[in-house]
Amino acid sequence: MSSRRMRITTIAKKELIEFVRDWRTIVAILVIPLLMFPVLFILFPLLLASEAAELQAMEVDVVVQTDGMPDELSLAFNTSDLNITYEPLGTIANLSTPGSDAERLRNTSVDAVLRMRTNGTVVEYALLYMSTSEQSLEARSRTFDVLAGWEENETVRRITDAGLDADETLDPLRWNGSIADSDVATKGEQAGMVLSLFIPLVLAVWTFSSAIQPSIDMTAGERERGTLEALLALPCTRMELLMGKWVAVATITGAGVLLQIAGLLFAIGYLASTEFISVPELDIATLALLCLAVLLFAIMVVAFELALAMRSHSVKEAGSILGPAVLLILFPALFTQVINLDGIEAYWFAIPVVNVLLALRELLMNRIVLGHVVVWLVSSTIYAFGAAWYAARQFKREDIVTSLS
Amino acid sequence: MHEPLLVVDGVSKSFGDIVALHDIDLTIHQGEVIGLVGSNGAGKTTLLRLLAGVYVPTNGRVRLANGEEVHTARNVIGVVPENTGLYSRLTAWENIRYHARIHGIEDDVAWKRTLYFSKFLGMDDALQRHTKGFSRGMRQKTALLRALAHAPRVLLLDEPTAGLDVTSARTVRDLVSQLGQEGGTVIYSTHQLSEAHRVCNRIIIIHNGEVRADGTPEELLELTGAEHLEDAYVSLTMDVAREDEVNEKPLGRWSKAWRSMFTPSTPKEVNEDE
Repeated sequence: MSSRRMRITTIAKKELIEFVRDWRTIVAILVIPLLMFPVLFILFPLLLASEAAELQAMEVDVVVQTDGMPDELSLAFNTSDLNITYEPLGTIANLSTPGSDAERLRNTSVDAVLRMRTNGTVVEYALLYMSTSEQSLEARSRTFDVLAGWEENETVRRITDAGLDADETLDPLRWNGSIADSDVATKGEQAGMVLSLFIPLVLAVWTFSSAIQPSIDMTAGERERGTLEALLALPCTRMELLMGKWVAVATITGAGVLLQIAGLLFAIGYLASTEFISVPELDIATLALLCLAVLLFAIMVVAFELALAMRSHSVKEAGSILGPAVLLILFPALFTQVINLDGIEAYWFAIPVVNVLLALRELLMNRIVLGHVVVWLVSSTIYAFGAAWYAARQFKREDIVTSLS
Repeated sequence: MHEPLLVVDGVSKSFGDIVALHDIDLTIHQGEVIGLVGSNGAGKTTLLRLLAGVYVPTNGRVRLANGEEVHTARNVIGVVPENTGLYSRLTAWENIRYHARIHGIEDDVAWKRTLYFSKFLGMDDALQRHTKGFSRGMRQKTALLRALAHAPRVLLLDEPTAGLDVTSARTVRDLVSQLGQEGGTVIYSTHQLSEAHRVCNRIIIIHNGEVRADGTPEELLELTGAEHLEDAYVSLTMDVAREDEVNEKPLGRWSKAWRSMFTPSTPKEVNEDE
């Protein structure tokens, strides 16, 4: 091993040893990403189900203001799980104007007010409610269910009375056969499509956020603890120091991202059928380009974070800079999810962050568009080298030797 | 006189507009134990960092006797910074081995040297312990062992006895004396003139970024006509000492303005009648 490589390896190894000896950091960067999606995808639906059951058990009070309604509808209300109170409607020009009923909705003495009147063969209605009250929303939802049931029966009755077949009249266009059979995309391609919506986002956001803590610890942290001065007096160049620390941060971040993707796949597999996430069909060239895209992105992100952290005089200062900087990744990452890949212009593949995320989406769908590949490859390389150059400049600053301790 | 080892040739060091060191000329010979004595902010740490190759001079050169710039030949130098710079999640030996490996020293060679000096410092039982719970004295001794593991030709110590108890301070001083007797070269910064007198065979008095005197204790007494070194020191550093740290660029205009917005002004004098 060359002495240069040996020094870089020594620095990286020491950083990793220090990292694994801190169990809190291990939990934050490795265990949480592994468990985050399974917990979110499995516990969250359970929580929603429990909330739905709670809503179902609620008693809701609905005031029905009417001067007469069809008998079937009246029967439907009386047999529903609503606590109904009838009141006369009075003279109201516009049924949806709350008027004096607003007050009792706001003070929750009633949960919803249904106003109905007959106008020829049509029943006009309005339902007053308060959108910020769960109880009121539940009352509204149950009232709509009753109204919809009556409306469906009434529609069928009127069509039948007119001498028509209700089924043919209401459903004149029908699918024949299985919908799944009609998709010519293979299972692998479908899996690629689904994963392309998750993996680039997870990869981008988690690469950035999981690199924050180790980047700060290895730069501003060293500076604050006063360990950097002794290190700078050693016979290694600042570039070797940067590279050693970069390797360590990239290793930690890479492990965190891989674990998070594993957790995500497990959660999707748990919730959906295994066919839903069958392995994407990727050839060797696509896989190689995927790895290259991720590597260039990691070089850029980690170097950028190390640079910003090294500029800072303290851990606190570094944290206050790098924390909000997550938005630099988050916004483009979310934006990239809604970009249509069909017929996309090549310049999108030159925009920082967006370029790698779009490249990942295309590659996961096993699409290699040569023009796009050239643009993202060249632009990502330029950005990666730019970030590395910026980091090198920060590591070469003379004032980094100054410790706050 | 032994052969020259390090040459400081017309060196000045500035941080922005602040001149930390001005036109320093020194020649350091093998076997010398040099005490770098000065008040806070005198420029001792800046000079040590220049000698360690951590700082590059604004003017002049710091070079080895063979002409090589010191910042490209850091493997001949061992450094113990004032705050020791140990990693608390590593053991004492891991701290030492980390630096030795970067110096390109095999683990077994570094271990033998560490064991030899650790017996002298009474640290042999603590080598496999994590440094987190170490006392100031143990941290200082570990940093010394770390700086010695690659057999440096020059050892730079920045206030090595500051904050140590009497016994630990004596152990450190004894080690420095022994290194000197064995022909090693040590540059030792301190506030304490008496300590420098006890340990060093050459004293450099540095004040406000300038070398005010350089010689053996006897030569300093002769130069100033004083009876005691302390009187000699006072007569050489009569002008008001700057006390601010000058090893960092001063704040920029905007940073200064921003900070001043949140700095309370000095309270006005209160009228006693009120």
